[in-house]
Amino acid sequence: MIIRELIEKIEGEAELDFTFNEGKIEDVQINFGFYRGMEEILEGRDARDALVITPRVCGICNHAHLITAVKAIENGYENAGLKVALSPKAKAIREFTLSCELMQNHMTWFYMTILPQLEKLTGEISTQNYALKASYFSSTVTKAMSIFSGQWPHSSYAVPGGVTCDPSYVDVMQAENLIDECIRFFEEMLTGLSFEKYLSLNSLSSLGSVEGDLGKALWLIDKNEMAEAGQSHDRFIVLGDSVLAKPGKAQATKVSNVALRYVEESVQTGTTAKAVSYKQKLYEAGPLARAIVGKEPLVKSLHKRYKDSIFTRVFARVHEVATLLVQSKKLLNALQLDEPSCTLGKMLEAVDFEGEAAVEAARGSLIHKTSVKEGKIENYEIIVPTQWNLSHGNEKEEGVAVKAMVGSKTIQDATFIFRTFDICSVCTTQ
Amino acid sequence: MSMDKQDSVKSLFTAQSAKVDTNKGDAYYEALYTQCRARLDDLKKLAPLNNRMDFKESIEEEGLERRDFLKWASATTAMLMLPASFTPLVAEAAVMMNRVPVIWIELSDCAGNSEALIRSDGPKIDEIILDIISLEFHETLMSPSGHQAEKQLEEAIEHFKGKYLLFVEGAIPRGIDGYYGTIGAKAETFVDHLERLAKDAAAVVAVGSCATFGGIPAAAPNPTDAVGVMDVVKGKPIINIPACPANPSNMVGVLLHYVLTGTVPELDSLLRPKFAFGYRIHDNCERRGHFDAGEYVEEWGDVGAKNNFCLYKVGCKGPMTFNNCSIIRYNEGVNWPIGVGRGCIGCSEPDFWDKYAYERPMANANIKAPTGGVEKTVDEFGLGLLTAAGVGIAIHAAASVVAGKKSEDSKSEENA
Ligand code: SF4
Ligand code: SF4
Repeated sequence: MIIRELIEKIEGEAELDFTFNEGKIEDVQINFGFYRGMEEILEGRDARDALVITPRVCGICNHAHLITAVKAIENGYENAGLKVALSPKAKAIREFTLSCELMQNHMTWFYMTILPQLEKLTGEISTQNYALKASYFSSTVTKAMSIFSGQWPHSSYAVPGGVTCDPSYVDVMQAENLIDECIRFFEEMLTGLSFEKYLSLNSLSSLGSVEGDLGKALWLIDKNEMAEAGQSHDRFIVLGDSVLAKPGKAQATKVSNVALRYVEESVQTGTTAKAVSYKQKLYEAGPLARAIVGKEPLVKSLHKRYKDSIFTRVFARVHEVATLLVQSKKLLNALQLDEPSCTLGKMLEAVDFEGEAAVEAARGSLIHKTSVKEGKIENYEIIVPTQWNLSHGNEKEEGVAVKAMVGSKTIQDATFIFRTFDICSVCTTQ
Repeated sequence: MSMDKQDSVKSLFTAQSAKVDTNKGDAYYEALYTQCRARLDDLKKLAPLNNRMDFKESIEEEGLERRDFLKWASATTAMLMLPASFTPLVAEAAVMMNRVPVIWIELSDCAGNSEALIRSDGPKIDEIILDIISLEFHETLMSPSGHQAEKQLEEAIEHFKGKYLLFVEGAIPRGIDGYYGTIGAKAETFVDHLERLAKDAAAVVAVGSCATFGGIPAAAPNPTDAVGVMDVVKGKPIINIPACPANPSNMVGVLLHYVLTGTVPELDSLLRPKFAFGYRIHDNCERRGHFDAGEYVEEWGDVGAKNNFCLYKVGCKGPMTFNNCSIIRYNEGVNWPIGVGRGCIGCSEPDFWDKYAYERPMANANIKAPTGGVEKTVDEFGLGLLTAAGVGIAIHAAASVVAGKKSEDSKSEENA
């Protein structure tokens, strides 16, 4: 028996076709009805046009696209023999603005998707205005970001060699205040704990003291007996280098090295979204992967008990906000404002090059590859995080999200599991 | 270049753009005031649509102070180019935003405009938007999903037939019979979906450059044959709010104008509200003084960049772009691209992907300038280049003057 279910409430729309066998889900086919042809549009344009075009692939991860695009160009310049030496200041500012995008994404997902869906699942509907909470945090953190990036979404402030902004101490102070306000939100709304107290939690049992909306979500998952649901291959990948983790892959908690050249993209039937694998194997990407590869103690202790279940996955994403808040304060504090913002003059520019870069976006590793001839893009490839989690799989194994859903008894449970991956169809199909 | 040509270019570039008539005379405003008053009194008689909070309650609940609210109202009144005496009316209209049903759909988009909207003017004004406007349907913001959401949409169309405002985000792909973009269980194409929803709408608001002009999906070679709303919807009032993303203040402005007057705001020849698109970025740019003084950033990270010089030579398209970001900025007014030393990319202009959205200044781009003129480098320039830009602007201004005439005419008809 095949039952078709439409998923909205993610960015864009996805369609899931469930096959049931003896009251349990046996297979899921994931489809997207949407195509824009972004890679085609890029062909033949000036190499740097990718900086203004690729962010428009996705209104949520637009900043990650900008950062990946600029790094791919810089990588290409270096491959062509040009020296691109970013100042620590420029590096830190990029890292900061990207962290802000991750935080805003995670909180919007938590408040607009996870909490309302959980309430529906358990019949514990509250009258809380979650949209308002989501927008309060998100608008605060995107304000902090736009002090440097000018706007969110769709900034283009990063250029080969650095950034265009030249912040003053007042700007940095303003950003710090906004981050402090986010921390206050984290304390009062999300966890009911002082930030210090929250950061000192170190084991699964200590999680009991978490209150607030996060406490509520964890409690609801538990109450619905879903804490162990949604386990998949227990295999993780991180390709970008960030304050959260060094690149690496993990089978359970055993971490090893990765190289971009083993990433493979393949066409799948029935959808415009392409599948992606690493040495023919499927990996989960995103905050849970970063926490496992980055050996984050609290998430690891959850993982020990619940493996890669939705409990661990949901917690890892919210917990990443805490880590990012800590890191972004550090980044701001360490800024040396007298360093140059941009080190590459306009005269320095390679015309023939191949460049690639991977960056950790909210949903996992994002890859751009650009080949440029006589200054013009010959070929541009974008591999987005959602492709890792949503690939259908191959003969040998099921896709990551598919495996997580197989075995669920109801469509409601399965679509909730699907959403814990923070799915975005907009970028997947481009 | 001859001296008087130089002078004329100079005067073009230093002139206030005179297309927006900000003072239409007392008689006009008095009549408008009466009209708005009557409209608001009528709306007041309607019950608020029940899926949204009452504004007065939420002011207290969220601790929004009356004073802050009035401050917002007077800023918005100014943005809508109405005299200050309209401020109480605007405040009243904001409270009654929940009397006008809104349906919001996303087609070939990146969801960036919705994202910008949810992150608009801080918790206080967000609350007005999220809680007060009667969003009868919005895929991302509403709680039901899948079949349930589809049902809700059908009910909303039926119930508010002829009364709802349809907000559209995203372009419409027409290639392979529209099958590059489908929606819902029956896989209705975006073209059909839009036509069906527009049929019963009071007016259609195209939000963002994708919905207005096809935007990035329509960039060459336009793989999916994407177009904007005005190429699909016929016989309905259409309001275009371009830019990428569209500025939330302008979305709220259009809505508020509709609540206040029951009509669409005055539009230019590209159907853009004049209150937002009557000026060039360049007219109100904070770096304008440096432009006039000939002080430019020559390359990223140079002394000019440190001193916030004009970005024209590193590709700023502000002189060719009509929009109000230089006044209202982004992310609650915190900043905007030029504020961080990044030139404007002309994101609210038609075909900006192919005409403006690149790193180079107009002169170095191997594309036809608006004049179809010769390409020169900036250093060879300057005024040759400025002429190119200037003529483009002159053409635009002429188009707007024609549009302006029309409104004059209709005004005299009204008065007759
Ligand atoms: S106009 Fe820009 S922000 Fe809006 S949908 Fe298109 S690409 Fe996204
Ligand atoms: S930065 Fe751009 S908009 Fe501002 S003055 Fe210079 S050219 Fe004009």
